[in-house]
Amino acid sequence: MKRLLVVGSGSGGTLTANLLAKNLKGKIRRGAATVDLIGESAQHAFQPGYLDVAFKGYSPAGLMRPEVGLVVKGVTFRNEAADRIDLDERSVTLAGGKTLGYDYLVMATGAFADAGSLPGLKEASFNFHTGPQDSVRTWEALQKFKGGKIVVAIAGVPHKCPPSPNEAAFMIDEFYRKRGLRDKVEISFVTPYPRVYPAQTLSDAIAPIFEERGIGLVPLFNAESVDPVAHKMYSLEGDSVDYDLLIAVPPHRGTDVIRNSAIGDEDGWIPSDKGTMRVKGHDDAFAIGDATDIPVSKSGVVAHLQSPVVTENILLGLDGSSESVQYNGRINCPMEVGRHRAVFVSATYTTPAAKQSPSMVKYFMKRSFSKMYWRTMKGNMEWLMGLYFGKTSSAHIEATETEKRMLSQVPAS
Amino acid sequence: MSVVQQHKIVDSRGTSCPGPITDLFKAYRKAEIGDIIELLATDPAAKPDVQAWVRKSGNELLDIIDEKDHIRLIVKITKKGR
Repeated sequence: MKRLLVVGSGSGGTLTANLLAKNLKGKIRRGAATVDLIGESAQHAFQPGYLDVAFKGYSPAGLMRPEVGLVVKGVTFRNEAADRIDLDERSVTLAGGKTLGYDYLVMATGAFADAGSLPGLKEASFNFHTGPQDSVRTWEALQKFKGGKIVVAIAGVPHKCPPSPNEAAFMIDEFYRKRGLRDKVEISFVTPYPRVYPAQTLSDAIAPIFEERGIGLVPLFNAESVDPVAHKMYSLEGDSVDYDLLIAVPPHRGTDVIRNSAIGDEDGWIPSDKGTMRVKGHDDAFAIGDATDIPVSKSGVVAHLQSPVVTENILLGLDGSSESVQYNGRINCPMEVGRHRAVFVSATYTTPAAKQSPSMVKYFMKRSFSKMYWRTMKGNMEWLMGLYFGKTSSAHIEATETEKRMLSQVPAS
Repeated sequence: MSVVQQHKIVDSRGTSCPGPITDLFKAYRKAEIGDIIELLATDPAAKPDVQAWVRKSGNELLDIIDEKDHIRLIVKITKKGR
């Protein structure tokens, strides 16, 4: 019997477990394979929605669903934290003490936004990266704030969802405009990068909007500490900014299970092959999504697009093949710029992000993808993902009969 | 007492913007005054980005070396913190 273990029940972990179970249906039924998904939280959060909670006042309840309802038949969901992973012994020890062996392991353990890692930041700032309740607190702070200087800061790189700090600045601008208070509020965007968005082409697209909306830019500012009493943020470069309300993306690191297991680099990111998604030095262990050290955005879309690659590579391994399929580095991060417009940050390892203009079509596409999220988790929408994203890897997951039927109804472009 | 200076090589080859400058910032965060960070990059944006950062931060760009298939940017950390 082959034991497949997926650690982490966010986007990447849930989808990978489901794709594995769907593709190994017969083997699971015959008792020749098992798929176990280990997840600390009984609730699955749609994390991109935290922005809407923090800056539009949406209810966090709409972003949460029970994980058990998202897994397909054949997946055993173990609602327990993983405490330690031993890649040499091929085992995962759970917080309760039980140890599970595996033939193939997928680590989808995510990233941890650690506001406590920068002196003063946790006490001084609000954010939308550390969970729905902190997003609610940010919304409450905005409601109370009637005038002064708001600083939106990137306090460490890399971080989840690269466009989200820019989106936060645009949403804050819109929030105060709608209330007729914009002239009472100064907004500054503080970033370690030399421009408003790291990729030049995207920066060129949104810098004029920052200027038009009166959002100030403080570039090349690597946050070092915050003084919550003096309301000052300091940089490693020796600069400082004053604020009345600080909304900051905390520095991110790998999760505790990776750090405790001595698998990650000094920041806890898992050294991974950027094509096959194998953990370096291990043929039977894979990593996906935010947890890896590969040079792409930390986002749910990336985790999603890596899931079929890992699934296919495990299926090839189970078949005794020495071949592997490769992820091509495709990213696709939508960025709302306010006034019902958005841009998409799309690139691959070999194709940089293209020049573009914000559009309403992209805004509504972003909103539509958000609504589809729950259906994509079950692995039923891979045919549509394939239509939209094209070939994002050399992987090919066999479509189900239903998917083939739906695909045949799509008009040829 | 002399302080041992570190010469750290940061290999960002094969990553595109903002990979190299992100890797440089990560190394800068851990560096001490006097340390050398040698950044290897294939992304052409690395050169102007690093130049802009050293101008702003007051650190020193010792050399830019064009190798056959990548560039080496050698930075000396001369300023960090208040």
